[in-house]
Amino acid sequence: MNKLLVSDIIDLNNDICVLECQSDKLKIKSNGNCTIYLINQNINNLDILVNDNSSIKVYMINKNVNNNILINIIEGNNTNVDFRYTYINYNDYMCTINNEINGDDNHSNINIRNISKNGLSKSIINVYIKNKTKNNIGLEDLKGINDGGFVHIEPNIICLSNEVEANHLTTIGSIDKDSLNYLLSKGIDEENAKELLLKGFVYSNMDDYIKSMEVI
Amino acid sequence: MLTFENFSLKVNDKELFNNLNLKINDGEIHVLMGQNGVGKSSIAKALMGDSNYQVEGKIIYNNEDITNLSIYERSKRGIYLLNQSPMQIEGVTNAEMLRAALSSDTKTPLNILKFNKELESICESLELDKSFIHREINVGCSGGERKKIELMHMWMLKPSLIILDEIDSGLDVDAIKIVSNSLKKYYETYKPIMLIITHSATLINNFDNYFVHLLNNKKIVKSGDKTLAKEILSKGFKELSNTFAISENLENE
Repeated sequence: MNKLLVSDIIDLNNDICVLECQSDKLKIKSNGNCTIYLINQNINNLDILVNDNSSIKVYMINKNVNNNILINIIEGNNTNVDFRYTYINYNDYMCTINNEINGDDNHSNINIRNISKNGLSKSIINVYIKNKTKNNIGLEDLKGINDGGFVHIEPNIICLSNEVEANHLTTIGSIDKDSLNYLLSKGIDEENAKELLLKGFVYSNMDDYIKSMEVI
Repeated sequence: MLTFENFSLKVNDKELFNNLNLKINDGEIHVLMGQNGVGKSSIAKALMGDSNYQVEGKIIYNNEDITNLSIYERSKRGIYLLNQSPMQIEGVTNAEMLRAALSSDTKTPLNILKFNKELESICESLELDKSFIHREINVGCSGGERKKIELMHMWMLKPSLIILDEIDSGLDVDAIKIVSNSLKKYYETYKPIMLIITHSATLINNFDNYFVHLLNNKKIVKSGDKTLAKEILSKGFKELSNTFAISENLENE
């Protein structure tokens, strides 16, 4: 896997790479089919501009988020965005994602997994589908686990067009008791069973590359 | 040996069983039969230690009172529940789970080569694709695949008391055959106690000898051998339960 050291702006063209950021701000311009990995990067501001007729997959994972983050994802026409972000917070944390769909024939999927170990983790996910656009799909799949701290998620899909498919799934809870009992019944003690379930949750929206890295 | 002594069972203050007594010797197969809603699955869950059930009386396993033991403590004593709709666990693979279970009580590291070989051979015998070893537990699997995966876990964990809760439900004829043969082979290899809950003859016909208990009205209304199973399956639960209840009343009078 290519690793790219980036300052604060990068142009991608059909790239699959791991980005290592030198700054707390990052602007990505994506063209063609791109897949990027952001692993334990402390970024405050992330802008993703997806060119027309392009697709991007973003796998972002952070085992201990320190700074609040603002993420802007901007799509034009005929784009496909699959944005996956997993994070664990040990302090109060705020994540804001604004996904602007400005043209036609776009597909956007925002997928969040958050474990709050301590403090309040607040995530506000906004998908804006602009007026006079058509054939757009906006999906939000947002899940949080209160594991010592508290998760707060606000899923917002603002549709100003009628020709749109929009859906959100938001779940916040603690470790599932039935799943825990299942693992206990296989002879795994409570501490290890919880660890397995949390690890499973963390990686549930990540791909095999991230899983193989054993980030968390 | 497994013994239920004056065993009463409640869930949400609803009484399911009252003063039930049952003794199962090592290596014996006992089949619980009864109408839907009579509480068969509740016995299975309570025996596994599900805290949603309130138990009075005692459950003794291998001369130890396990009534108040946790699910984990019971599983460490060799008790294993295989139920009709196994959980799916996102993000945790079968191999990860089995490694965690097998290495939890041993300080020596697991021999991964041996572990993988054993798992592959079990998959082969269950006609289960080897890719399931590294797939998430029961995620995206059909009913038949889930039952085979649970059997794969059973073969790896080698329990001494197996509770089968309607494991044959929803299986096609081929899958039932594979599941039945696997259970028979396990029984012949390790001679565990088996407590089988079922509505059909397909699974139990595979075993030569077993005991049958008909449950109704919060108790065992009739116990017998495999001929009782045949009688139940030909006449139906309702007719037989009523017959036995009438004869019991006459005896009491």
